Amino acid sequence: MEDILIHAKDLWCSYEEEENSVPVLRGISVDIRRGEYVAILGHNGSGKSTFAKLLNGILIPQSGELTVAGTDLASPDLTDDDIFALRRQVGMVFQNPDNQLVATIVEDDVAFGPENLGVPSAEIRRRVDEALATVGMSKYAKHEPHRLSGGQKQRVAIAGLIAMMPTCMIFDESTAMLDPAGRREVIETFEKLNKEQGITVLTITHYMSEAARADRVIVIDDGRILADGTPREIFADAERLVAAGLDVPQCTALIHALREKGVALEGEPVTLEECADLICRALEGKNG
Amino acid sequence: MAELTLEHVSYIYGERTPFEITALDDVSLTVREGSVTGIIGHTGSGKSTLVQLLNGLEKPASGRVLLDGCDIWEKPKEMQKIRFRIGLVMQYPEYQLFEETVSADISFGPRNMGLTEEEIKARVSEAAQFVGLEPETMEKSPFDLSGGQKRRVAIAGVMAMRPEVLVLDEPAAGLDPRGRDMILKGIREYGRCTGNTVVIVSHSMEDMAAYCDDIIVMAGGKVHLCGSRDAVFAHATELAKVGLDIPQITKLALLLKQRGITIPEGIYTVEAAVEALRPLF
Amino acid sequence: MKNIALGQFYPARSPIHALDARMKVILSILYIVCTFLCKNVLAFGALALSAVLLILLSRVPMRTILRAIRPILFIMLFTALINLFFTKGETLLWSQQILPFWRIDLHLEGIYSAAFMLVRIVVLILGTSIFLTYTTTPIALTDAIESLLSPLRVIHVPVHEFAMMMTIALRFIPTLSEETEKIMNAQKARGVDFSQGGLIRRAKALIPILIPLFVSAFRRADELATAMECRCYRGGKGRTKMTVSHLHFGDFTALLLVVAFGTGLILLNRYGFGFTMV
Repeated sequence: MEDILIHAKDLWCSYEEEENSVPVLRGISVDIRRGEYVAILGHNGSGKSTFAKLLNGILIPQSGELTVAGTDLASPDLTDDDIFALRRQVGMVFQNPDNQLVATIVEDDVAFGPENLGVPSAEIRRRVDEALATVGMSKYAKHEPHRLSGGQKQRVAIAGLIAMMPTCMIFDESTAMLDPAGRREVIETFEKLNKEQGITVLTITHYMSEAARADRVIVIDDGRILADGTPREIFADAERLVAAGLDVPQCTALIHALREKGVALEGEPVTLEECADLICRALEGKNG
Repeated sequence: MAELTLEHVSYIYGERTPFEITALDDVSLTVREGSVTGIIGHTGSGKSTLVQLLNGLEKPASGRVLLDGCDIWEKPKEMQKIRFRIGLVMQYPEYQLFEETVSADISFGPRNMGLTEEEIKARVSEAAQFVGLEPETMEKSPFDLSGGQKRRVAIAGVMAMRPEVLVLDEPAAGLDPRGRDMILKGIREYGRCTGNTVVIVSHSMEDMAAYCDDIIVMAGGKVHLCGSRDAVFAHATELAKVGLDIPQITKLALLLKQRGITIPEGIYTVEAAVEALRPLF
Repeated sequence: MKNIALGQFYPARSPIHALDARMKVILSILYIVCTFLCKNVLAFGALALSAVLLILLSRVPMRTILRAIRPILFIMLFTALINLFFTKGETLLWSQQILPFWRIDLHLEGIYSAAFMLVRIVVLILGTSIFLTYTTTPIALTDAIESLLSPLRVIHVPVHEFAMMMTIALRFIPTLSEETEKIMNAQKARGVDFSQGGLIRRAKALIPILIPLFVSAFRRADELATAMECRCYRGGKGRTKMTVSHLHFGDFTALLLVVAFGTGLILLNRYGFGFTMV
C-alpha cells in the first residue's frame, strides 16, 4: 500500500497529566492517501486536535496502530530520530499566528526549518525565495513578522514548511483566529499546494464552509469518527451534524426545509451554485 | 439604559507624522437605547478604533461621544465613572483573567465599583447565569477551564458591573458553533433582562443577522450603512460589494434573483428563504 | 504600539552600515582601546575629530546621536567635577577655604584632565553606539556575537542556545508590549485605576496586569517550543545558516584604518604640549 500516507487503526489516546485520565480518542480507524485534501470537523473538545497532534509525534498514542509516512508512531522503540524524520515530511501550522514565528525577519523565519535540516546555504536561499513566492509573500521578505496581518503571518508559517519540502501539511485550526479575508488567503494557499504540488492537506476546523471545499470530510465527535465521506455525503445528514455540535450550512438547511414542506428536490447540493441550479431546475420543471 | 451617540467623530493615528492614518472620518451615529446593535466591517474599516472611543480608552481628534446626551470627555477625571456605565469586553478577553477562582474574577469589576458584598454576590450569580456558567464552575480556577468557558467568565466579569451600555469586540471569535451560540445568546439575554444597550462588533454577518436588532456597517473609516437589520440587508448587493461576507443564504437569494426568480433581496435567514420560495413551487 | 523601535537602529545606506557586523564588534572594541591610548591635547583632539568623522560617515542625524548622550549626562558631569577639583598639579589657579577643614584647589591640570575625561566618555559612547546600535540591527548583532563566540563551544558554552534566546526575545518584545497594552485596557475597563492612590495601591493595581501577562507569556513559550520542534529544531547541532556573511575588502580596510589610527594616537602622545595624562 504505497500511496497510504496515514494509517490509523483503533487508536486510543488520553492526556497523562490528569489524574483520572479520560480518553480523548476512543478507537479512531482511518486511512488517508497521498495527495488527498481532507477536512477534519468537530466541535472544541471532540478530539480532532488531539488526533492532529498524534500525526507528527507531538503526542504518542496509548494503543492502536499508527503509521505516518512510513514511521510507526505506535512502536515502543520509537526514537527521536524517527520523529525528526517524520517531521521533515509532515509539517504543521498552528492556530495562533503569533506563536509559531521564530525570527525577527520574514525570510529568516522561512529559513528556520531548512537550517535545522542542515540544508546547504545556497539551497536554503533558493527554497526560501521559492516558498515566499508560492504563498505570495515575496514582497514582505524583509519585513518584521509582528507588523503583518494574521493571514499574512499564517502564510509565512506555511512558507516555512514549504521550504522543508514536506509531503503533508496539517492545519490545526489555522484559520480560527483570522478575519474572513485572512481565512480566505490561507485556504487558497493550501488548496493551491494540494492541487499544484500534490501535497496532502489535512485541515482541522469547525467551519462548514471550509469543510465543503475539501475532497473528503471526517467528522469526529467524542473521540470517535462519526462520519467519513465526501462533503455531499456528510452534509446530507443534517441531524448528525447538529448532534456533533456543528452548523448545518444554510443552503443545506434550506433544501431540507423545502423538502419537509413537500417540495420535490433531488440531490444534495454542496456549493452555492449547485444549490441555485437545483432550485432553478425544480422551478423550471414545475412551470415548464 | 442609555443611548450612545457619536457626533462628527474623527480619529487619526500618528497625527502629523508621515504614517498618518485616518481611522475614523467624520462619523456620526446613534446606538438606540435598549437595542442590540451590531457594528460590522472588515479589518481596517475603523471598527476597532470605534470600540476604543466608545469606552473612552481613546479620545476623538474631533467630534463628541455622547452618553445620554453628555460628552464623556467633559470631565476626564471622572472617566472611570463613565467606564462603569459603558462596559467593554475586548477581543479574546479570556487573557485578562487573573484571580484564583471564577467567582473572584467575576467580582473584580463590581468590587472596584465599591459595591457592598451582598450586591456583589447577587451580581456575580446573575452574570454567571447570563452566560450559562454552572455553580460548580464558580469555585474552580479560571485557568483550568476550556477556552469557551474562560471566554464566558471574562464576559460575565464585565456583565457583573451591569453597564448601561455593554460593548463587545468580536465576542465569538475562534469559538466553535456551540460556544458561539452560547455566548451570543447570553449577550442578548443580558440586553433583554436588564433593558441595557448592547453593542457587538464583529465581522461575521451571519452572527449579526441572527442576534442584532440594528446593524451599522463600517467601511473606510465611515459609516457605510446603518439601520434596522431588515433595512441593512435590503442592500445585500451593496454589502457584498464592500467586501463583507454576507450570509450564504443571502448570497443564494442574490444568485436566484440574478437567474430571474422573484425573491426579495434582503433575505438573511433560512426561514425567510423557505417562506419566499415555498409559494413558487 | 506597533511602531515600537527596537534598539536604536537607524536605517540608512552608509559605508558603516555596509560593514560586516562581526567586524563592527571588533572595530568598536579597538575603538574603545583607542580612547584609552590618548594622553595629551593632540591625541584627544584627533580622537574627537575621528568621532565627528564617524558620525558624518554613518549618515545618522546628529540629533539622533545626541540622544545617546542624554542618559549619561549626569555621569559626565560627575566625572568632570571630580577631575576638575581633585587633580593635583603644579599650576594652582584658584583656591578657596570653604570650611575650616576643607579647601578647594583648582589646578590647570584639573581643567585638562576634566576635558580629557569628557572627550573620552563622549567618544566611547558615540563610537560604540555608531558601530553597534545605530548602524547594526539587533538581530545582526546577535548573529555576530554568536559567530565571534563560537570557538567557546569547544569548552561547552551554549553559544547557539544563547543567541537563539536573544533572537526569540527580540521577536517577542513587540508582541508582548502590545499584549501588555491590551491587558491594561481590559483591566481599566473593569475599573482598575493606575494613576491614583499611594504606592501600595498602585503596586496592587499591577497584579491584574502581571498575572495575565505571565500566563500568556508561558502559553506563548509553550506553543512556540512545540512549533519549533515541529520544524525539526534540535539545538545548534547540524544546523546550517541561510546567510553566511563573508568579510569583504571594505571590512579589512576599516580594520586597517582603525589600527593605523591607534598607532597614530600613540605617536601623537609624544609630540603633545601642556598636560599629559598618566
